[in-house]
Amino acid sequence: MKKLGAVIAVLVLAALATFGLASCGGGDDTTGGSGGGKQGGTLNGTYASFPDYMDPAISYTAEGWTAMADVYIPLLTYKHANGEEGSEVIPGLAEELPKISNGGKTYTLKLRPGLKYSDGTPVKASDFPFAVERMIQLNSGGSPFYLTIEGAEKFAETKQGPIPGIKANDKTGEIVINLEGPRGTFTNELGLMFVAPLPQDTPIEDLSANPPPGTGPYMITNSKPGKSWDYERNPYWAKANGKAMPDLPEGVVDSAKMTVIRNPQSQVDDIEQGTYDWMQNPPPSSRYAEVKEKFEGTQFRVEPTISTYYFWMNTQEPPFDDVKVRQAVNYAVDSKALERIYAGQIAGTQQILPPGMPGYEQFELYPHDMDKAEELMKEANPSDTDITVWTDTESPNNEAGEYFNEVLKELGFNTKLKILNADNYFTVIGNATTPELDAGWSDWFQDYPHPNDFFQPLLAGESILPTNNGNFAKFDNPAINKKITKLGEEQLGPDQEAAYKELDEEVMKEAPWAPYGTRTLSTFVSDAIDLESVIFNPTFGHYLSSFEFK
Amino acid sequence: MPTEPSAERGPWSLALRRFLRNRLALAFLGLFVLIVVFVMAAPLWANHVADTGPNEEHTVEQITVNGEKKDVVTVEGKPIGPQWFGAGGKFFLGADSRLGRDEMVRLMYGGRTSLQIGITAALIATILAVVLALLAGYFRGWVDGLIARTLDVIWSLPVFLIGLSLGIALAVGGLKLGPLEISSGSNWNPIFVISIFTVPYIARPIRGQVLALSEKEFVEAAVAQGAGPLRVMFSEILPNLASTIIVFFTLMIANSMLFEAGLSFLGAGVQPPNSSWGTMITVGVELLNIQPLLAILPGLMIMLTVLSLNIVGDALRDALDPRGKARMDAALEFEAHGGVTAGAQQGAVV
Repeated sequence: MKKLGAVIAVLVLAALATFGLASCGGGDDTTGGSGGGKQGGTLNGTYASFPDYMDPAISYTAEGWTAMADVYIPLLTYKHANGEEGSEVIPGLAEELPKISNGGKTYTLKLRPGLKYSDGTPVKASDFPFAVERMIQLNSGGSPFYLTIEGAEKFAETKQGPIPGIKANDKTGEIVINLEGPRGTFTNELGLMFVAPLPQDTPIEDLSANPPPGTGPYMITNSKPGKSWDYERNPYWAKANGKAMPDLPEGVVDSAKMTVIRNPQSQVDDIEQGTYDWMQNPPPSSRYAEVKEKFEGTQFRVEPTISTYYFWMNTQEPPFDDVKVRQAVNYAVDSKALERIYAGQIAGTQQILPPGMPGYEQFELYPHDMDKAEELMKEANPSDTDITVWTDTESPNNEAGEYFNEVLKELGFNTKLKILNADNYFTVIGNATTPELDAGWSDWFQDYPHPNDFFQPLLAGESILPTNNGNFAKFDNPAINKKITKLGEEQLGPDQEAAYKELDEEVMKEAPWAPYGTRTLSTFVSDAIDLESVIFNPTFGHYLSSFEFK
Repeated sequence: MPTEPSAERGPWSLALRRFLRNRLALAFLGLFVLIVVFVMAAPLWANHVADTGPNEEHTVEQITVNGEKKDVVTVEGKPIGPQWFGAGGKFFLGADSRLGRDEMVRLMYGGRTSLQIGITAALIATILAVVLALLAGYFRGWVDGLIARTLDVIWSLPVFLIGLSLGIALAVGGLKLGPLEISSGSNWNPIFVISIFTVPYIARPIRGQVLALSEKEFVEAAVAQGAGPLRVMFSEILPNLASTIIVFFTLMIANSMLFEAGLSFLGAGVQPPNSSWGTMITVGVELLNIQPLLAILPGLMIMLTVLSLNIVGDALRDALDPRGKARMDAALEFEAHGGVTAGAQQGAVV
């Protein structure tokens, strides 16, 4: 009888423990606490669109970078922290920050020993030049950052390697990178996942459906482009990489499942009901005020960003090859209207550099003035007024595109509006073979806290690429190109910041864009998640490794 | 002197009498006429009352409502609600979205687009279906086999999913098919998609009727008198299909409008900034929690239009051919039996 009682007591305790664990939010494998929250569990997250690519070499959107930030670690990386602190470059796979010599032209790094990819393959120093070559071969939008490496430009043309400017020694782990000239932003650029080392048998093709193995605490499994993808712990993180990179967090949840839910209303409802734990994109404008009021401080947090939202105009084709036409558009676009369209999630600005970026100083060259705009149009008298305006389906970008379309109509253009699925919008408008790329919507969030990041990839002639183009305006002004290159070579200081301020104005006088604002984003999680623990990095957004169940 | 009506009146006159006796159908016909008048009056309302076009944006503007200034769209992005006549008819039903367009004007213009697409797509589908059914039913053999199997293939496809994919492709890239060129964003794209995919719904039952009619004595007599296939098909058989075609055409308008609404709701139909009731529901759904009328009103308009067309279509069928249901069932049975043996029996029923 005593024995039976003991058995019953054990069974009751086991049942209670099981129910207790099962009721822990989305967690299905909680194995005891660590820090403030519970270790383990499965995070159910949602994105409004699938990332442009699920391949570190070619992804160039906030969605893609957030999705892969804890999967692919470059030689250098960014501190896992909110706000300004998160802009600090720290060693990643490299033992320490690079030694810069030879007048800023040589970068020497050393790979940490004992690192392994998630499939068990050892990480070698020569994986770095392979990753750079693969990225260039795939015509990645990030390739302009690395074309200053000796021989990289030639490699980009011929696609024949190796790139002579990168020497890697697998025995010692030493990597020496020689640049054609000094480049003040190169340390930041080594921290981007475009050049995160990959095993050398990785195919030279878009691997979104079957992402390559990485070195981070998580690995992507079961990627279904357009629909969903999963994360599991990288088995070699605990065994090798985690010990080698103690500054990087190992992550709290054991796994995660990300689902594309294209209706942001449903996303909000799902978070409120606890069906999902987190949404990557902000709540839709129509629900923003309500969510903010109800959940700020408990499940919701406003995240300032360093970003510029803008309309681009193709400066190489009529009618936008005429600066007067572009200036007219700038006078006609009213950032106050766009503030309302974005339901207060945008602060109006009319320049390339956003607030918070070194070199930013507010100016307003084109205060909203329809009369002035019409006057400039009359002076320009463009012969070709048939244009196509592009935007994506994600709200309120679609409405911003409709607004822009109407503004152009008011100026006398015959417009055709094309609204593309957000999954492939940038892929389509970044492809030179797409016809009628006249004007459209875009945005830009900083890759790293350096003003060059808003000029070189977006407004330098060398950044006009056949695919994955980021210079949608196809802006190629020799004098401005020269300044961008020169400033890019220098380390950032007060003189350079002043020069970037001048450059900002100079570019806006040429008006390749009609910028209209800088965006705030948000963190919105279910009641089961500890909001305090979630990190929103200015470059990579939300880190998966920072989520934990209460 | 009293006369015997049936002795003097023709079949069309009798059908009209039967239709006029159907009060429910008359009421819904009246409703449909009202809807048509409502949408046709769009330019009048836009120019003389609302003083704005359907795509004109008023995001940062203010209007005076009963002497009080109000934002068309608030700083938080909330569009103004219905103002009825408080602003002299401006924003009668409020603003449609954060772009601050007049909902009433867009509802009227959107209705024009929905009806235009519905009627045009139904007309094209009906013409194509009748021609194919005549060819298949009259010539039989391999012609019938080819046409019937092609229709079967289209019928067996998940119509809406394929229509959606095709609609999205056409909305982005347009269509270039030999001399036929439709630019992306044109309303001809949804018309093309809808008409292609609805052809089998009309062609199959009509083919059954053609098979049955082509064995009738009057057809044999025409052939014996030396009439060629074209004359037999279009002068002898086609007039006997008139009542069925009218009924199908009416019902297909309703069907096409629903198809268009679905395509537009999913972004594959009418392209912004143009409105249709389908696109208006898409915009309205996003603001459902703050301005529910924006989704409800276009949905209600679609429902009333489709309901009225369906009831009128049913009444027309009853009026034009009181034995229509029996005949239609028999025609389908005839087709199911391969169109020969049962067809001979069917001749007696028709």
